[in-house]
Parts: sequence; C-alpha cells; structure tokens
Amino acid sequence: MVDDLIIGMAGSGGDGIVSAGESLIGAAAAEGYFAILTKSFGSQIRGGESSCRLRVSAGPVLNPGGLLDVAVVLNWEDFLRFGGELPVGPDTIVIYETKTGVPPDQIPLGGVTPAVAVAVPMEAMAMKAAGTLQAKNNIVLGLLAGWFGLPRESILKGIRKKFARKGEAVLQGNERSFAAGLEYADQNPLGVERHLSPPAPTEVGKVLTDGNEMCGAAALFAGCKFFGGYPITPASEIMQYLGREIWKHGGSLLQAEDEIAGIAAAVGASFAGIKAMTATSGPGLSLKTEVLGLASVAELPLVCVDVQRGGPSTGMPTKREQADLFAAAFSAHGDTVRPVLAPISVADTFGVTVEAFNIAEYYQTPVLVLSDQELAQRKEIVPSIDTAQFKLVERLEPTGKELDPYIRFRFTESGISPLSHPGMKGGNYLAAGIEHNELGAPTANGEIHARMNDKRLKKMDPLKLRRDLFVIEGDADATIGLISWGSVAGVVIEALQMARAEGIKVRLLVPKLLYPVAEEIYQEFFAPLQRCLVVEQSHQGQLYRIIRMWASVPPEYTVLAKSGSNPIAPEEVLEKIRTMAQPRFAPASSTSQS
Amino acid sequence: MSTECHLSPEVFTTKDYRSSLKPIWCPGCGDFGVVTAIYRAFAAIKRPPHEIAFISGIGCSSRIPGYTTAYGFNTVHGRALPIAQGIKMANPELLVLVAGGDGDGFSIGGGHVPHAVRRNSDLTYIVMDNQIYGLTKGQLSPTSPRGKKTASSLYGSMEDPVNPLLYVLAYGAGFVAQGVPADMDGLSKIIEEAIRFPGFAFVNVQSPCITYGDPDTQLKTQRARMRKLEAEGHDPSNRIRAMELAQEYGQTLYTGVFYRNPTPAPTYESQIRERQEELQGEPSALEQMLRKNSATG
Repeated sequence: MVDDLIIGMAGSGGDGIVSAGESLIGAAAAEGYFAILTKSFGSQIRGGESSCRLRVSAGPVLNPGGLLDVAVVLNWEDFLRFGGELPVGPDTIVIYETKTGVPPDQIPLGGVTPAVAVAVPMEAMAMKAAGTLQAKNNIVLGLLAGWFGLPRESILKGIRKKFARKGEAVLQGNERSFAAGLEYADQNPLGVERHLSPPAPTEVGKVLTDGNEMCGAAALFAGCKFFGGYPITPASEIMQYLGREIWKHGGSLLQAEDEIAGIAAAVGASFAGIKAMTATSGPGLSLKTEVLGLASVAELPLVCVDVQRGGPSTGMPTKREQADLFAAAFSAHGDTVRPVLAPISVADTFGVTVEAFNIAEYYQTPVLVLSDQELAQRKEIVPSIDTAQFKLVERLEPTGKELDPYIRFRFTESGISPLSHPGMKGGNYLAAGIEHNELGAPTANGEIHARMNDKRLKKMDPLKLRRDLFVIEGDADATIGLISWGSVAGVVIEALQMARAEGIKVRLLVPKLLYPVAEEIYQEFFAPLQRCLVVEQSHQGQLYRIIRMWASVPPEYTVLAKSGSNPIAPEEVLEKIRTMAQPRFAPASSTSQS
Repeated sequence: MSTECHLSPEVFTTKDYRSSLKPIWCPGCGDFGVVTAIYRAFAAIKRPPHEIAFISGIGCSSRIPGYTTAYGFNTVHGRALPIAQGIKMANPELLVLVAGGDGDGFSIGGGHVPHAVRRNSDLTYIVMDNQIYGLTKGQLSPTSPRGKKTASSLYGSMEDPVNPLLYVLAYGAGFVAQGVPADMDGLSKIIEEAIRFPGFAFVNVQSPCITYGDPDTQLKTQRARMRKLEAEGHDPSNRIRAMELAQEYGQTLYTGVFYRNPTPAPTYESQIRERQEELQGEPSALEQMLRKNSATG
C-alpha cells in the first residue's frame, strides 16, 4: 500500500485525458481523499496536446509533486512535448498505447528506465467496448482503478453522472469501457504493488475547488460588492465566478472595455463607499498601473488580483511563473508603497484574499494579490472553510464631530484619516490624483507633498510586523534556511519535511506579505543562519533580490530560480538542502538557472 | 431614478454649489462660463451637493469638480467615464456628472466613450471642447482642424479632426447637445436637461481657449456665430436629421439639443437593480464552501 500517488497522463486534445483526471479527482473527493489536479495544454484553443497530473493522497497534499509514480501515454509525441512537466524516473510505472508500436525496452525517455513499462491496446479495447475511440479515457480509468486500487464505485458513479444525459447507448458504451479496463488490469498484474491506502477518516467536510474560485468566494465573504475586469488567461475564472454569484450578494460586475476601465470602475465603486476588486494577469497589470497609483494617492481601498503567468508581454499565458513581483511592488511612478500578498495554496487563497480586503479597507490603499497560474487553475480537494478564523475589517468613517468640518486627508498619528463617500452629508471633498493638502485642494507645495508622502508611506509600517502573514517552520537552532513564496512554497515545505526526516536541521520562512519588506521579521529569521536558499519560479529570483534591498542577508545567500513552467520538484530542493548541510559547503554562484 | 431632491427640504441656490477654491483658468477662459452654468443647473435640480458626484480626468477643464461643493474626483487622464460608471453602479441614487476636455474624452479616453454610451449608464458627460491642449501649452488636440499650426504641429496638422457630436450620436446616445458659454441661459438649460435625461447624456461645449485658441473662436464671437437649433426648427426626436446637422461640426456653430430619444431605453443601473432583485436569495456557491455552522460574511 502507498499513501500518495502521482499520476501523469498525456494525449491529444480529443482524447479526453484531462476529463479522465477530473473524473479521478471527483471520485477522490467523494471518498475523502486529498488531491491536486493540474492541467497543462499546448496554446491551441482546441485540439493539440493536453495533459494532467493528479496527486492523490490519504492525507493533506502540499503540491502537485515531482517524479511521476504512474505515467499514462496515449501517444509518445504528445507526452514528450510536456518534457519536465511529466517527469519519469526509475520508480515510475509507464502505461502506454500498444498502437504506438514502441517495444517496452525502447520507450523514448532519454535513457531513463522506468520500473515497469506496459503496452495496453487502449484504442482497440475502446473500439470493442464502445465502438468509439472517445471511450479511450474510460479504459484508462478502468486500468488505473484496477492496478492502483482507486475507488471503482465512485469513479463509475462519476461516469454515470457525466453520461446520464447522453442517452442509454453512450452511457453503456462508457460503462463497458471502464469495466474492460478493470478486467484488463485484473488479468494482467503489474508485478509491483502500488495500491493506494484508504483516506484518513475526518469530521471535516471537503470541497473540490481551485484558486480562482477560492479567490472569488473570498471576495464575496469579505463583502466585495463590485468587480470590474476584462477577460485574460489565467484570471478570467474569477470574473466568471463573480459574474454568476455577486448579484446574489447584492453586488454588481462590469466586464469593461479594457483592463484600464476595469480597474477604473473598481476605484470609482470604492470612492462611492463599497468594497471593490479587479483581477487580471501580467499584461493587464501593466495596463492598470496608472490607476493603481491613483488609488494610492487618493487613498482609496482596492483589491487587485494578479494571476501570474509566464511573461514578459504575452509570454506563456497558460504556464506558471512568479515574475510579476517587481511589477506588483514597484510599477506606477512616484513614491508609493502598495502592499503585495501571495497565497501559498488553493485553500490559502481564501484567507489571503480576505486579508487583502482587510488591509485595503483599513489602510485605504490598493492591495495586490499575487496568485499564479498553477494555484488559480489547479483543482484541489481542500477542507471546507472555517470562517470563524476570519475577521472582517471595515474602512474608518468620519464621526459626526469629524464632519464639522471634514478634513479628508487630515494628518493623524497613524496616517489613516477617516474616509467619507458620496451620499454622506457633510463629508463632501475632492479626491484627486493631483497632490493635495489636508482638505483635498490641489497643491504644488513641496513641504505639503513631503508630508503627504510621509503620511501615505508610514501608515503602512505596522504591516511589516504582521507575523501572522509569515509561515515559519523547521528547527529554531538550524544554521541553514529556506525562503519561498506562492505556489512554490508547497514544494519547499515538502522538501523541508524530507530533509528533517533525514536528520538535517533546517528552517523555512514563507512570506505571504511580500511587500513592504518586513525587515525585522527577516532579520530575526536570518540571525542564526549561515546559509539561506531562496526558491522561486522566475529567472532573476525577484523575491531574493527584493529582500536584499531591505534586509542584511546571511553570509551564504543563494537562489534556486527557474523561469516559468520549468517544474521545481521537492527532490530537487532536497538535493540543494543536502548540499547546504555539508560541513564544507562551497558557495555556488549567486544565481542558478535551469 | 428621480434626479429631484427627495431627501432634503433645504432650498439650494447657485452659491451653495460654489466652492472656495479659486480656478486656475486664465481670465477669459470659456470654462468659467461652464462652471457657472453647472451651478445654475444644480440649483434648478435642487439636489444637495453631497448627493452629487462630479468626476473628471486631466486637463484645464478637468479641474472643474474642485470648484463645486459636490463630491469631486479629479482622476487620471482619460479615465473619468469608467470611474464614473463604477460610482453610479455602486450607488445609483447619486447624481453623477462627468466632465473633461476634448483631449481627455476623444483622444486618450476615446476608447471609453462608445462603451459608456452603449451601456446607457445614467451619466451626464460634459466635454469642454477648445480644439487645443491648453494645460500642456498649446499642442494639437483631436478636435483641432486640419492645417492647424500649434506647438506640436509647426507646419500645420495633417489630420482630420474628430467630430464629437457625430461620434456620440453614432454610438447611440439618447441625448446629444451642444452649448456655448456666451449663451449662459441656453447652456444652463441644456446641462439641466442633460442631467434630467434618464440615461447617458452628452453635452459638447464650445469653450474657447483664450491663451492658445484662435481669435475667431473666442467668447465674444460666439453670440454672432451661434445658430439655435430650436430657432432653426429642428425636431430633436429626429436622429437622422441630428446626424446631418452634426456633420457641420467645425463649420456651423449649432447650439441646443441635437437629439433626445423620445422613448429612453432602460439605464444600465436600472437593469443592475433588476438582476440583483431577481437573483437575491438564490443558492450561493459561497455557502457550499463553508464549514457547517460557520458564520457568513
């Protein structure tokens, strides 16, 4: 029995391989397993190669995992296009289509010899069972259920539900295909035992969701009543979710004519007194920056989600990257601090989005949420949300006394001034992108400008002491440390656990607040460290560099930085930790590239 | 949505809408007349200043919200319309007025106008059209006539100008008018009528630039040049005729209402209200994600 199984499958667009992955995760959810499903496609709208990887586990899952335990290959050409996204190792069981004509000892894996390579006539079986190649993916489901002990009844139930409306003949064909796969697996044992153990019993209900849906749900929970946005991969699902749901909560949504109008309308809604949000991906963030600056200087709350994808420019819209941190922190001109948050898992996207609204409303500032393509679009089974752990923050409104007279940008000790909104009698003021005095009147006076900058920057200082926005794990007396963020953090947490299981002392810091840089928290973390490795999915190592701008780093401070879509596997990080743990560690060059 | 004051028994006069800020405009600028006409329109409509949101972009004319006592938002260049739509969607009870120059509305922000119009957002959009970039000291604007020599077109413009009236009519606006500050009574009435119109209303004001504008466009020439559409016998319900007259933009200075849709379409905001009412109480996807016995926000 194994309690963790990583399955990777690839085929052509019409093969239904992603649909098979969805069936499996649906069944896993019904049985009480934890699981993560990631999908990867060529950039074609329809057709082309498509793949998915499913990691299913008896306990919580931190990341989609590294090397595959099982690889399903419908044709080699498509499978190999995914390269490192579907890595095969010596322990992998490879199941492939007989029709590809490749002998098991000659499979094209560049010298890697998998534990088992088995050719199955999946196409022929589908034709025989259902009379159509479209049933191939149910043959695959049958094989996987049979060989790896995946829940047959729940998978079958899923198939029945999926084809219920397609007529009796289609339904039966698909059921027969699933049965044929099962039968084949039963009659042809693999010789390697890899049955998945049953899930750990739990009281807590589970939800099958993804990061974009979590983000939208969190916005509703936080009381967001307006969304303005524009379609963009891989962020559109946030708008689509809210477009279905926000009306039920008394809010409204504008699919704007462009990215700028989307954020502009959200700033308008915030000015009018309600919680507002926009969501986009890299190119959209570039377009929105001027209006982000406006929200900073007019001190208006706003949440802007950036679901990062490969950049620059159009880049790789369907791939994960963490290269928008510089843009999130520094784009838009002038002296400004804009808080940047990043969730570390699908489940965490809920809490981080709620926190983004809280910070935006409390500090009267735009807040960036840096999600990424993987978190946003991977399907994950997560525990249902316990809302008792979240507190909602509302913006500070002027009291009756503060309205007589109302001084919108009054210098206060905290830098936060009560905020009125149109409709509030006595609260009338002029909001502006132009520098202004306390009353809101435009000014070009250098002294007032300096004081206003000071107010707008300093009000954010308390954020830097928010320890709850930092995850620290591992050994307090370790001299080697790790830092990671966003979806890659889940990989590094697993590597940390593996290293500690080997007896290596190591400590990990995962910031969910990326900007402003929390000097004190980093300084405390760095104090006992001799060596520290930052792991992130960008070519330059953007967090690695930003930390150095504010904090003094340990003597050996290095980065494992990879451009988007190149997988970072727990095993690879573990290898780095082992090297760091060696007593005579020679520092490598400060950046390493894949 | 009524534009009348229904919450406050107070009586408002023009001075209740005038702020203490001193305009930055040059003496003789047409915009002084526009802001006065706006005070008069507000006073006629009697909405208390705190129920008015006045939004602008960037440019000389975009300073205008600060010269009123309404809630003002002097935003960024070209984005006043989408910001105003967000405000109106957030609180449809507000009277939302948008203003800016020809560069703000038909150059940098030109992409937003057709969309505000096709949504029929219940806004009044006043463009102070002076055919020049004044704040940046005299460059070519989208409404500058062909051949115009400016700081940025020393040898004369090689472009045809935008025709704001024809554009907005073609986009499908329900209310399109033009006014001049030299005819204060006429301009105030046009703005008042635009505000009262349920849906997107556009007022192009020929508001001359005293510093960089042509001498023959100045205020003192307007009375002699203007031709009142009403006096011409124009029927403002005739959209095709309105478009014919609008073609004379830049040649004939028509003032008054070019087009007023006699059967105004539903506003964007009224449709939003309907959708919210229709879907209120429907099962929410959020609830299904929350642990049982969890409180909902």
